[in-house]
Amino acid sequence: MTTRRVFLRNSALAMVGVGSAPLWLQRALYGAPGTRKKILVAIFQRGAADGLNIVVPHGEKAYYDLRPTIAIPRPGGGEQAALDLDGFFGLHPALARLEPLFSQRHLAIVDAVGSPDPTRSHFDAQDYMESGTPGLKATTDGWMNRALSKAEKESPLRAISLGTVLPRTLRGAQPAVAVQSLEDFRISNAQAAPELEQLYLSASDPALQSTGRETFQALAMLQALQKQAYQPAAGADYPRGRFGDSLRQIAQLIKADVGMELAFADVAGWDHHVNESARLANLLRDYGQGLAAFWTDLGDRMEDIILVTMSEFGRTAHENGNRGTDHGHANCMFVMGGAVRGGKVYGRWPGLQREQLYENRDLALATDFRDVLAELVARHLGNRRTETVFPGFAPKFLGLV
Amino acid sequence: MCYRALAVLVCVSAFAGNGVPFQKEIPKDERIKQALNRFTFGPRPGDAEHVQSMGLKKWIDWQLHPSRIAENPVLEAKLNGLGSLSMSSREIAQNYPAGRMAARELAAAKLLRAIYSNRQLEEVLTDFWFNHFNVYLEKGADRYLVTAYERDAIRPHVLGKFRDLLEATAKSPAMLFYLDNWQSVGDAMERGRPARRGLNENYGRELLELHTLGVDGGYTQKDVTEVARCFTGWTIRQPRLGGEFVFNGRAHDRGEKRVLGVKILAGGGIEDGEKVLDLVARQPATAHFISRKLAMRFVADDPPAVLVGRMAQTFLKSDGDLRAVLKTMIDSKEFWSVGAYRTKMKSPLEFVASAVRSMNGDVDEALALNNQVAQMGEPLFRKQEPTGYSNSGTEWMNSAGLVARMNFALSLANNHVPGVKVATDAGAGITLGAPEFQRH
Repeated sequence: MTTRRVFLRNSALAMVGVGSAPLWLQRALYGAPGTRKKILVAIFQRGAADGLNIVVPHGEKAYYDLRPTIAIPRPGGGEQAALDLDGFFGLHPALARLEPLFSQRHLAIVDAVGSPDPTRSHFDAQDYMESGTPGLKATTDGWMNRALSKAEKESPLRAISLGTVLPRTLRGAQPAVAVQSLEDFRISNAQAAPELEQLYLSASDPALQSTGRETFQALAMLQALQKQAYQPAAGADYPRGRFGDSLRQIAQLIKADVGMELAFADVAGWDHHVNESARLANLLRDYGQGLAAFWTDLGDRMEDIILVTMSEFGRTAHENGNRGTDHGHANCMFVMGGAVRGGKVYGRWPGLQREQLYENRDLALATDFRDVLAELVARHLGNRRTETVFPGFAPKFLGLV
Repeated sequence: MCYRALAVLVCVSAFAGNGVPFQKEIPKDERIKQALNRFTFGPRPGDAEHVQSMGLKKWIDWQLHPSRIAENPVLEAKLNGLGSLSMSSREIAQNYPAGRMAARELAAAKLLRAIYSNRQLEEVLTDFWFNHFNVYLEKGADRYLVTAYERDAIRPHVLGKFRDLLEATAKSPAMLFYLDNWQSVGDAMERGRPARRGLNENYGRELLELHTLGVDGGYTQKDVTEVARCFTGWTIRQPRLGGEFVFNGRAHDRGEKRVLGVKILAGGGIEDGEKVLDLVARQPATAHFISRKLAMRFVADDPPAVLVGRMAQTFLKSDGDLRAVLKTMIDSKEFWSVGAYRTKMKSPLEFVASAVRSMNGDVDEALALNNQVAQMGEPLFRKQEPTGYSNSGTEWMNSAGLVARMNFALSLANNHVPGVKVATDAGAGITLGAPEFQRH
């Protein structure tokens, strides 16, 4: 049955196809203010970020014994020292811009969190964290795709990844699009576009047909948005580079009310086996600046938004002698948003004494990453069917939202 | 209960690739297209007729022996203009200290070879094996080292013995630098106590996980550490000047090691690492892992397990003869089946090269093509992670990629790609951007 809403949208899209539908019409179709959807933004730090130098357990003596050259000094020890959070944990000094968000309780941290699977393979661990089924390789779709509730008809832009490929976590039965850059997401030759669209819509190849259909729907919607240059809110100072660009464009999509519910971006380069200190600080500076800019840019809209970060596993508790660290186990996650009960480091702390370490070398796991994500899916996105999103797993909510 | 569910899933996936499509042969006249699609960077006008007149069997045999193929003089002339290609790493470090020009020439050469070489299978395999033993050009000294790596470690061995290819990569400054082994130093006794000096297990892990056994190949964390100990002292003389592989006995851990249950006696030197290579290159898990990856590239994203099994048998019987493994694949009915034919999504490199080849384009300057391949998600020599790019075509199925492909097709056909000349043909823009052309 074609409802009036669907009919209206289809005719609107036909108009957008020739580049004339005003943005207000799309807004009316995909969610006006007041009926705003909750939005979840997931950030993946690829390469296994060193959680112990990001959320520094400065109250733990063993931390300093294990890392004689790369440990972050205790708070109060100068510019290179950790920024105290709660008397036991501190932030890496390059994350100074996140400190106010933590103290104003918009940012929560979960520590000693990760995947229960013992793998130290980047590839497998990322795969498990994206599929949401640690240890199970046969899963074909990702947890973010499963988190999208099946709806009669939804925005073609309900799930977006910023980048050249669609990540594992967004693949699956529900439509999801990858966009490298909002400005360049267009067919350069307007005459050829309808002909190509027709070829994709009538393709006998099912995967190319559905990806093609999603692509042309997304092209139509974004065309209107491209007409206006994006101006972030005052004080929103995104870092230069791909990570900052991704966050800025996610903010742009949110403000344009295109019906986006899930967004994904990744940032690579966290695999620091050698000379970790300078490289980690550089990455963290962009990471902290990016998250802070995103918060400032979205302002009140952050009431509807939660941003969560993850990395496939942590790194060895001891440094490796090349002033770096090797592949470890548990890590930390950041959760930021208006509805987040922030200002707290969540999760049990397992300790860093030798007998407390996982396999005598890594921070042990106290919290499953799915506990965090399932709570966000259920309490923030309102999708209570967590058993579908994380099959075979009974989550214990931490009370983050 | 949980285990049963797991077992069922494993069974289903094990049989998934053995369905009817891989039993059903493609018609005779499509066999030439299948060979050209999989063993070249896409057919040029006239290629099918050429193979037809030569005979398909003979053409394949010819491609399997690239040294017998006279190279295209047009390609040779174009490569002659790229001076860094024949330089040693030290010369590159001297002549191009910023590394940018050498990197540009390296990527240009890869595109030019893909588009022009008569030794197409060798190019396809060089791309495959470089990606298998991936290194990242932007990591420090690797900007000087990758040219020689592709030329001297990868290309000469792509149809040779796996053990030789493995050792060439293990001893290459490019790999030693990329996976940090050059800095790995064995623990030693200091004042009567074992002192932790600088073991780095990065290479040891990726050797087992990505280069040989595969992540499910049955090794443990202990094996990773033991392998890393065996390779201590495998380092580089003056890496930042583009220096060579050298074994430094003082950095080597001379203690006893045990790898995959095999004891490596105390007191060894460079041979400890060589013994590890001997051991892992001949494991059944390695035979299976390599065979499956080749079948993923050449047959289907989820290749039939029985075919992979036969290829692995050949691998073990022939002591890792990569030409023999490919022959087993080529002689299989699965390769010539409906399940394989035109079912692979082209990678960005395959798409761009095949589009230029299909239009008989003349490439004067490959920079714009290189940028296009990067735009589509496959920056050449710039995959940061040691996994390399996926061999599954599904990886490339997404809206960002499709938009970039359609735009490239339209500008190529209208002669708007800088450095590339084609006979303008607006219709070709639609053909190359259409769903049909995305698969091979």
